[in-house]
Amino acid sequence: MKRLCRAGALARLLARGIKLRDERGGQLVHRERRLFAGEGARATLVLLIALIFFPTLAHAYAGPGAGFAVLSSFWAIFVAFLYSFYALMTWPIRQLFRFIRRRNAYGKATFERAVILGFDGMDPDLADRFMKEGRLPNLAKLRDQGTFSKLRTTFPPISPVAWSTFMTGVNPGKHNIYDFLARDTSNYLPFLSSAEIKGPKRHLKIGKYSIPFGKTEIKGMRKGTPFWHWLGNAGIFSSVIRVPVTFPPEKFQGVLLSGMCVPDLKGSQGTFCLCTTRASNDKFREGGVRVPIERKNGVCRSYIPGPDSPLAAKAGTELRVDFEIRPEPGSKSARITVGSEKFTLKVGEYSEWIPAEFKAGMGFTAHGICRFYLKELSPEVEVYVTPVNIDPGHPDLPISHPVTYSIYLAKLFGPYATLGLAEDTWALNEHVLDDDAFLAQAYGNHEDRERMLFDALEKTKQGLCTCVFDTTDRVQHMFWRYLEEDHPAARDVPHSQHPHVIQDLYERMDRLIGRVMEKVDDDTLLMVISDHGFKSFARCVNVNAWLHQNGYLALKDGKTESGDWFEDVDWSCTRAYTMGLNGLYLNIKGREKQGIVDPAEAGALKDELRQKLDGLVDPASGTVGVTGVFVTDEFYRGPYTDNAPDLLVGYGAGYRASWDSVMGKVTGQVFEDNTKAWSGDHCIDPRLVPGVLFSSHKFIEEKPAIVDVAPTILKLFGLALPAHFDGKAWTLAPQRNS
Amino acid sequence: MVMAGRAATVAAFQLSLLTSPLAIVVVLSLVVGLAMVVLFGYTSDQKAIGIAKDQLKAHLLAVRLYRDQIPVVMGSYGKILRGTGRYLKLAFKPLLYVIVPITLLIVQIDRYLGSTPIPAGAPFLLTAHFAGSDELNDVTLDLPPEITMTAPPVHIPASNEIVWRLVGSKDGQYEIKMAAAGERAAKNVCVGSDLPRISTVRLRGHFWERMFLSAEPALPENSPIESIAINYPDRNIDVAGYGINWIWLFFILSMIAGFVFKEFLGIKI
Repeated sequence: MKRLCRAGALARLLARGIKLRDERGGQLVHRERRLFAGEGARATLVLLIALIFFPTLAHAYAGPGAGFAVLSSFWAIFVAFLYSFYALMTWPIRQLFRFIRRRNAYGKATFERAVILGFDGMDPDLADRFMKEGRLPNLAKLRDQGTFSKLRTTFPPISPVAWSTFMTGVNPGKHNIYDFLARDTSNYLPFLSSAEIKGPKRHLKIGKYSIPFGKTEIKGMRKGTPFWHWLGNAGIFSSVIRVPVTFPPEKFQGVLLSGMCVPDLKGSQGTFCLCTTRASNDKFREGGVRVPIERKNGVCRSYIPGPDSPLAAKAGTELRVDFEIRPEPGSKSARITVGSEKFTLKVGEYSEWIPAEFKAGMGFTAHGICRFYLKELSPEVEVYVTPVNIDPGHPDLPISHPVTYSIYLAKLFGPYATLGLAEDTWALNEHVLDDDAFLAQAYGNHEDRERMLFDALEKTKQGLCTCVFDTTDRVQHMFWRYLEEDHPAARDVPHSQHPHVIQDLYERMDRLIGRVMEKVDDDTLLMVISDHGFKSFARCVNVNAWLHQNGYLALKDGKTESGDWFEDVDWSCTRAYTMGLNGLYLNIKGREKQGIVDPAEAGALKDELRQKLDGLVDPASGTVGVTGVFVTDEFYRGPYTDNAPDLLVGYGAGYRASWDSVMGKVTGQVFEDNTKAWSGDHCIDPRLVPGVLFSSHKFIEEKPAIVDVAPTILKLFGLALPAHFDGKAWTLAPQRNS
Repeated sequence: MVMAGRAATVAAFQLSLLTSPLAIVVVLSLVVGLAMVVLFGYTSDQKAIGIAKDQLKAHLLAVRLYRDQIPVVMGSYGKILRGTGRYLKLAFKPLLYVIVPITLLIVQIDRYLGSTPIPAGAPFLLTAHFAGSDELNDVTLDLPPEITMTAPPVHIPASNEIVWRLVGSKDGQYEIKMAAAGERAAKNVCVGSDLPRISTVRLRGHFWERMFLSAEPALPENSPIESIAINYPDRNIDVAGYGINWIWLFFILSMIAGFVFKEFLGIKI
C-alpha cells in the first residue's frame, strides 16, 4: 500500500519540480522496479518475508491473524519492558527504603536461603529402614552430613493441626486448629475448622433469580501468624507452596499457593462423580455422587454436578455442565465432548484437566477444572470425574497470594489440582477407582507440584522456599494394607498386586531430594520434615459406642444405634460424645446447647473417662486399642482453648477412630475391622507417630518438635523470636556457627 | 405513486449505503475477519499457540510477582523475548497460508478504494517515464475531446520523464494515447466521483511490479515508454469527521471482527 501511495506522491513531487530521489539518493521508480526485477521465486520469498516482518507496510497486514500476532508480541514485549524498567528504576529506592526501615534484611542471617520440604506423613521408622537398605541415598546423605531425627508432632497428630503449628510456632490453643472438623455447640453439628465461606447476605429477588449483593466472605479460622509473615516484615522474601491450612491466603511479602483445606467448586473437600449407565440407588458413604448416563442411538449423555446456583431463588439449585460420550466403534475408546472441549479417551485413561464452566445466567459463571477417567465402555458405560477443582487460571475464590500467583503457575505449567485433598482417596475407598487409577492421579498431581517447587527454587535465590507434598500421606493411607500380611483391607485382594508402592513412594521422594540438592549450595539450609509418621489402621474403635455402652451417651427411646451426626442421641442424658478423629467432648451446661454436665464437675468426669478409656483392650486380640487419653487443659495454652476438645483419645498402633465414630454415629460394636483401602493412619497416640527431620546442616537438639521449626528459621535469619512462640530455636552444630 | 417513489428512494439510499466506501470496508472487514480467523484456526497448531501465549503471560506475571528480585526480572524479560520469537514462529505457518490471498485481495480492493477519480474540471498530472533521454524529444500526446492540456509539457531529462498538466471536463473513462519513437501506448484515466477501478500507473514488463501497482495490461516490451502514471488523489473515508485511508479502517475493523469471531469460535490467535 505504501508503494501505491508513493506512486501518487511521485507525480505530486514532479509537479513541484522536485527531483525524484529517495532519502538515500537513489531514483525511486528505478529502485522500486529493481525490487521486483529479480526472479519470481526470489521476489515471492522477499515479498512474504517483507509482508510478515515489516507489518507497517499495509500489504503485510494479513488479516486479524497477523494483526493479533504482531500486536500480541508487541504488547508482551512492551508490557514486559515497562515492568522491567519500573522494577529496575525503583529497585534502588525500594532497597534504600528497606535499608532505612530494617537495615539489611540478610545482615544477620546464617543462611541466604532456607528450603523446607514437607513430606506429609513420612514415617521415620520406614525412612530409617529404607535408608539402611540403601534405597534412599539422598536422604542418607542428608543424615550423614546433617541431621536425621524423629520430629515430635502435635496433640493430636493430624495434618491441619501439625502444619498449623509448624507455620505459627505455637500450640493448637493459640492457632485454633484441633482437627479437620470443629463442632457447633448450638447443634452438635460439624463444620470445617480451617475456613468459613459465607455468601453475600443481601439478595434482590427478581422472578426466578435471586441476585446477590456484596462479596462472598471467606474467613480463615486458623489463628496465629505464619513465620513467613515475620520474615516478610523483615524484608525476606518467601515462596510457600501447598502448605496445609493456608486457605484463605493471607497477605505477606512473598508468594503462596494454598494447600490442604482449599475446597472444590461445590464448596466441599472433594466430591467426585461417577457417571454410569448402571442403575443403582446406592449412595456413596462420603465424597462422591452417582450420576446417570442416558444412552440413546449410541450416544451417551450425562452431566457434571457443580455448585449451587448463586442466582437461583430456590436454594440448592445445582448448576451442571453437560457432556457427551461417543464410543468409537471397534476400539476401546470414546470421544468425549464437554462444552467446546473435545478429546478422546481410552478405557483406563485419564484426560487432561478439562475446563468446566457452570453458567448460572446473567453472565455469572463458576470456573472449574476436572479430569475424566474412562472406566468402562461395554457392556455398561462408566466415567469417573474428579471433584471439580477451582480453576487456578481463573480462580473464583482466592487460592493464592497474590491472586495472580495461581494464574502465573497455571499459565506456566497448565492447569493443576487446586483442591486441598486433591488425591481422591474416597473414590478408591468406594472402589470407584482402582489402585492403579488412584496412583496415576496422585502422581500426576505430585509431578505438578514438583514443577512448582523447582520454579520456586529458581525464583527464590534468597529467602524462604517451602513446599508440602501430600503424596506421601495419601499413598501411605491407601496402600499400607500391602505392607502387612493380614491387614483386613487386603484379605480379598491379591497381595502381590502392589507390594512395593510405599517403598516406591519413598524412593521417588528421595530422587526428588536428590534433584533439589543439585539446586542448593552451602549457603542454603535444606530441611525435609514431616508432620507425623504412619501406622497401620487395621481396627476401628467407635468411642461413641463405648460411651453409650458405659452410660456416658444416651440414645433416644427405643434406639440401639444412632445415625450420622448424633441423629438419635438423647442429649438430655448424654455426658460425653466424640466426633472427628481424636477429640472427645463433654456435654457441658452453658457451653453445649443441651449441656448437662456442670462445669464444676467436668474435671472429675474427665479423670473418670481417662481412667476408664485409657488402656482399652480389643477383645478380639487382647491388644490395647487406646494407649493414652489426654486432658487438653493440661497442655493447651492460649486464647482459643475453649474451642478445644476436652479430651484427646490416643489410639494404639493398628487402631483408629472408626469411620462411624468420626461422623458422630453410634453403633453396637466398639471394635471392628477396617476393610477400607484407607488402611494406614496417624490419628492415634501422638507419641507413636513422630515425623521426620532431615537437614543439610547439623542441629544440636535431642528432641526436636515441629513447633520448633518456626523459631529455628527466624533465628537462622537473624530475627528476634516473638514472645508468644511455644517452640524453641535449635542450635546449629559448631562448624556452621564458626 | 408516492409509495413507489418512496420505496425507490429507500432502495437508492440502501444501494448508496452498500456501495459507499465505508460500507464496503465494513462488510469486507467482517467477512475477512471471519474467514481469516477460521483459516488461522485450521492451519495453526492451536495447542502450541495456546501454550506459547500462556507462557508469555506467565513470564509477564513473573516480572510483576518477583519485582524485587532483579535477576528474576531480567531472566523473565529474556524469556519473554524468546517466547515472543516462539510465538511468532508458530504464527508464521498460518500466516503463510493467509498472506497470499489477503494480499491479492487488498491489492484489488485498493484499486477501488485507494484513490478517487479525477474530479471534472480539476487539473491532474500525467507522467511518462522513458528508457532514455533521446526519446523525450519525439513524444506526442493524443487526447480525447473531454481531456485538455492546460500547460506545456515539462521535460525532465535527468530522470527521462515528461509531465503534462491536464484537465477533464466531463465524468467518464477515457484513453490518452501517446506515441514515442514510432511506438504507441495508451493510458486510462477516470474522471468523475464514483467508485471505478483505478489504475494509477501503466508499466512495461515486470509481472510482480504490475501486479501490485497497475490495473492495466503491460506496455509492449519494445516500447520506449517505461511507465505512464496519473496522480489520482488518495481516497479518504470519512469516519466521525476524520478522513482515514481505507486500509487503516480495514485493519481496525477486521481486527475487531477477528477478535469477536475468535472468541465465538474458540480459536487462539
